[in-house]
Amino acid sequence: MKRLAIAFLVASFALGTVGARMADAQLLLVDYVGFDYEFPDPDPSQFGEAGSGYNGVGEVPGVFAPLVSDPSKEHSYFITGLLQTNTQVFGTFLVIDYTPGTLSVYEDSSTPLTYGINPPNATAPSTFTDGDQILTGTLTNFRFVFNTANGTGSYEASFEATGGTQIGNIPLNQRKGWTFAGATSNSTGIPQGYYHQIDGQVFLDNAPTPGIKGTWGQLKANFR
Amino acid sequence: MRAWTTTLIAAAALAFGLVAPAAAGPAIDWDPVFFYGSGITPTNSPLGSQLIGVGTVSSFGPPLEFLNPNIGPYEYTIYVFGLISQGTSPGPFYLTNYSGGSIEIREDTTPDASFDANPPNAGVPSDFQDGTPILTGNFTSFFTQIDGLSAHNTGNAEGNIQWTGGTLLPYTGPAGGEPCPGLFTGGLTYYPPVMIPGYLYRHDGKIDFNCPTPNAPSTWGKVKSQYR
Repeated sequence: MKRLAIAFLVASFALGTVGARMADAQLLLVDYVGFDYEFPDPDPSQFGEAGSGYNGVGEVPGVFAPLVSDPSKEHSYFITGLLQTNTQVFGTFLVIDYTPGTLSVYEDSSTPLTYGINPPNATAPSTFTDGDQILTGTLTNFRFVFNTANGTGSYEASFEATGGTQIGNIPLNQRKGWTFAGATSNSTGIPQGYYHQIDGQVFLDNAPTPGIKGTWGQLKANFR
Repeated sequence: MRAWTTTLIAAAALAFGLVAPAAAGPAIDWDPVFFYGSGITPTNSPLGSQLIGVGTVSSFGPPLEFLNPNIGPYEYTIYVFGLISQGTSPGPFYLTNYSGGSIEIREDTTPDASFDANPPNAGVPSDFQDGTPILTGNFTSFFTQIDGLSAHNTGNAEGNIQWTGGTLLPYTGPAGGEPCPGLFTGGLTYYPPVMIPGYLYRHDGKIDFNCPTPNAPSTWGKVKSQYR
């Protein structure tokens, strides 16, 4: 009996340790692909110029737990509200910083997502922002790094979920995270008036720890 | 006559890009590809070192939309190998060009791919090398660039692919035509909380078939004038 009790205590300690490690893990929440554009865009021949605003629209092929997606519907994203604050030049690299903005995810079954040309236009961002806004959050410290020599770059920002119909699925203490994306101007599929093709993700800092239902009997049986 | 004119203008509009493009996902999208390589650190890839990547396809779009990686028993894997470093530029922007390199995308009916820690090991890359090759090709260029100023250790990787084989090779270009180059692109991160021990980068990316598009801005006036 004493041996069983010791084994039980050791097992409990081990489970606790594993649980703590899982809580440190990050959770992939959203995977998105699309295109970006500037609005306002004081100088269309430049990207990240003074007075420009950064926007992104596209599809969301991956919506992950604790969000719930209806696979029969289309999912889209819209990044907006980011205004250029500073552009630094390091050789061929541009480092562009922005004011806070938002990233929102929508679920819709009514209108096909349509980029059009020279956004904003009659279909973009409108066909990407109709339907249910299932998640929205703030982007802060948004920074875009772009190499003009090879036409590619990336961005990253801190993200905090603040609203949407499924905000309740994310525990209050697990709503902070971050986003990053690769950007390229080398795709032949970039619609006219968009700058880059974008492929990005949103992570939550602290993944909700999945629970496993069990009974004391089952737990004890593991040690008999 | 009116129907003929309408058809002609519609065709011309398509040809001149006046119709708003509808959204279509990437031909091949993944999350993730993990890269590794002996002697390479996230910010330094010594001259001559080899970069290797393994990954799983998460979705297919046109012209491969008939494939579904989320319905069993199919698993679609990505194996990138033979990329030889030409050295890394000094920071804070760590740019590494690679020469050579090949890519294989396979369909496996016995799913077994897992990103086991500290590759190479018993499962990596072998779990990503079984199954039927649906697309194979060689890189004609490839680079990684990492931003030493970012809070989340981010950057990007991109390469061009010349497709050479696989059961779906004809889908990479126009019907009866030559294969179009593949554009392998996406974001990189080595932020520790999203990494697996022993890997260098996590890559969220995709491949599209970068077919040349004879597309030019125009106006209705110009379109009409061509048919007067």
